[in-house]
Amino acid sequence: MNLIVPFKIERKMLSKRNLVTYTIAFLLILALNFLLPRMMPGDPLTAIYGDEALIAMTPEFKAHLIERFALDQPLWNQFGAYLLALFQGELGYSYYYSAPVSAVILGRLPWTLLLVGTSLLLSTLLGIVLGIESGWRRGSKTDRALLTGLMSLNGFPDFFLGMVLLIIFGVTLHVFPLAGALTPYAGLSGLPLVLDVLRHLFLPVAALTLTYLAGTYLLTRNTMITVLREPYMLTARAKGLTQRVLKYRHAGRNSMLPVVTRTGIRVGRVVTGALFTELVFAYPGVGCLTYEALLTRDYPVIQGVFLIVAIFVLLANFVVDLFYPRLDPRVNSAY
Amino acid sequence: MHIDLKREIKESSAGKTGLVILLIMVSIATLAPLIAPYDPCQQSISSLLAPSLSHWLGTNHVGQDIWSRLVFGARTSLLVGFGVGIVSTLLATIFGVSAALVGGFYDKVIMRVVDAFIVIPMVIVVILVAAYLKPSILILMLLLSLLSWQGGARILRAQALSLKEKGHIAAARSFGAHRFYIARRHIVPDLGPILVVDFIYSIRRAVFMEAGLAFMGITDPIVVSWGMMMRDALSFSYLNVWQWWLIPTGVALSLTIVGLTFIGYAAEPVIEPRLRGAEVA
Repeated sequence: MNLIVPFKIERKMLSKRNLVTYTIAFLLILALNFLLPRMMPGDPLTAIYGDEALIAMTPEFKAHLIERFALDQPLWNQFGAYLLALFQGELGYSYYYSAPVSAVILGRLPWTLLLVGTSLLLSTLLGIVLGIESGWRRGSKTDRALLTGLMSLNGFPDFFLGMVLLIIFGVTLHVFPLAGALTPYAGLSGLPLVLDVLRHLFLPVAALTLTYLAGTYLLTRNTMITVLREPYMLTARAKGLTQRVLKYRHAGRNSMLPVVTRTGIRVGRVVTGALFTELVFAYPGVGCLTYEALLTRDYPVIQGVFLIVAIFVLLANFVVDLFYPRLDPRVNSAY
Repeated sequence: MHIDLKREIKESSAGKTGLVILLIMVSIATLAPLIAPYDPCQQSISSLLAPSLSHWLGTNHVGQDIWSRLVFGARTSLLVGFGVGIVSTLLATIFGVSAALVGGFYDKVIMRVVDAFIVIPMVIVVILVAAYLKPSILILMLLLSLLSWQGGARILRAQALSLKEKGHIAAARSFGAHRFYIARRHIVPDLGPILVVDFIYSIRRAVFMEAGLAFMGITDPIVVSWGMMMRDALSFSYLNVWQWWLIPTGVALSLTIVGLTFIGYAAEPVIEPRLRGAEVA
């Protein structure tokens, strides 16, 4: 019983600490989103809505917006008005797309989720298996080849990898389409539509999977090597377990842990990778939307994307923190 | 901390390869005006030429010599890389070591802010800021530095915490040494190898980010940059100019980043001594 009590205290401290972290991160994001346009020289409405909006705006509507954002009032009241609008789920209005920002982003989100989800799944599975195999036979030819190959791959800038694939399979071999997520105006439905989507998805997913793969692989391999030295591995071997059970059930499972813990660090790579890959393949997800918004100086969309991506990332980290102690009870005392 | 970083890097083949690549890139960047046959920004009417003796890699869409731009692009990449590396390692040392030595509430505040920054992906912050500020190369370097010291600070703090408990520091303290003196005289010198690793990884991140942002068209369009060259080249991918425009640029950028990755990986046992011997041969 004595052992259980400090355990529980540690656990509480861990979640409190993380809660503070996420709150700070969230406040930083809000502050950046709120302050940047308002600190810019000139009319803050231009900075909030972009040049294009002001031309289309009637004086009455302008007056309404100034009141809505409390722009004629002190900064604190402005921040209050900003938060109020945010909690009502309002991200602003994009004049370029003539639609609410939330609708513009939601329209693009499924493509990004499809692309990132598939690539994450593939790269994690592949990375863990390759990492386990490589670590298991450390120093062998297979290990050496995998390590050098994937480490070089890790050094490849995300967007160059995509370009190389695009040029080989799209431009030169004409095997896969060059851009987009669907054949435009083809009017496909049913199975042909699914096949069309998959055909467009293939190259971006391949590029992104390769981008994510190296990180997972290197982490798994490194942990595998330290895990193999643990006394419990010796015990397992002494019990006469088969190679496969030793490799996957005993060493492999423990080597997967850092892949989960380091999600917070990897998430940066996930977001950047998705952004660049979408750009290279003109894949119509949130990354491409960001790029278009940058070109047209569509500030509400940039702000909206920033907020939504940041919240997504925080949530992902939060979920990992919640579930991690279940995967590895040692975490509770690790801090 | 009796780890010989030089030996660590020299003994691994990856480390040696990385060092050689980096040295080549640094020499190209330093000697750029001597190596490049043309002014990289000089436009001419002879656009989109195929490689020839006078233009080794041909010319781009506005008639600039691609080889010269490639050579000068190394300057931008490495300048941003080393600049950000220095500033962010400096910030990491200041905040990491002071957090470890001062402790208490100050330590808590610093570490929570560090954690908060680590969970926010750098690229979206830079995009948001860049959308408003249209950054010059100096502002870009500053921005990248401010966003990339946090990971290093965390590692340095952990290391400084364990050093703090060592005998020689307890001795120094018992002689009445001031905290600042202890940090300068005993802790920072012992952190040397870790600082180098942090420095290398900061450079790598910055080189990658600069290229990526230029590829998105966020950076100063006047500055010659590999990312921008790739962006221009990709928009002409329907012609076969990618062979001498896109590929060499991408290879130069990749080589630089791979070189830095190799050095960092070879030196990593410094941060994680358990990995010692994890490297093959």
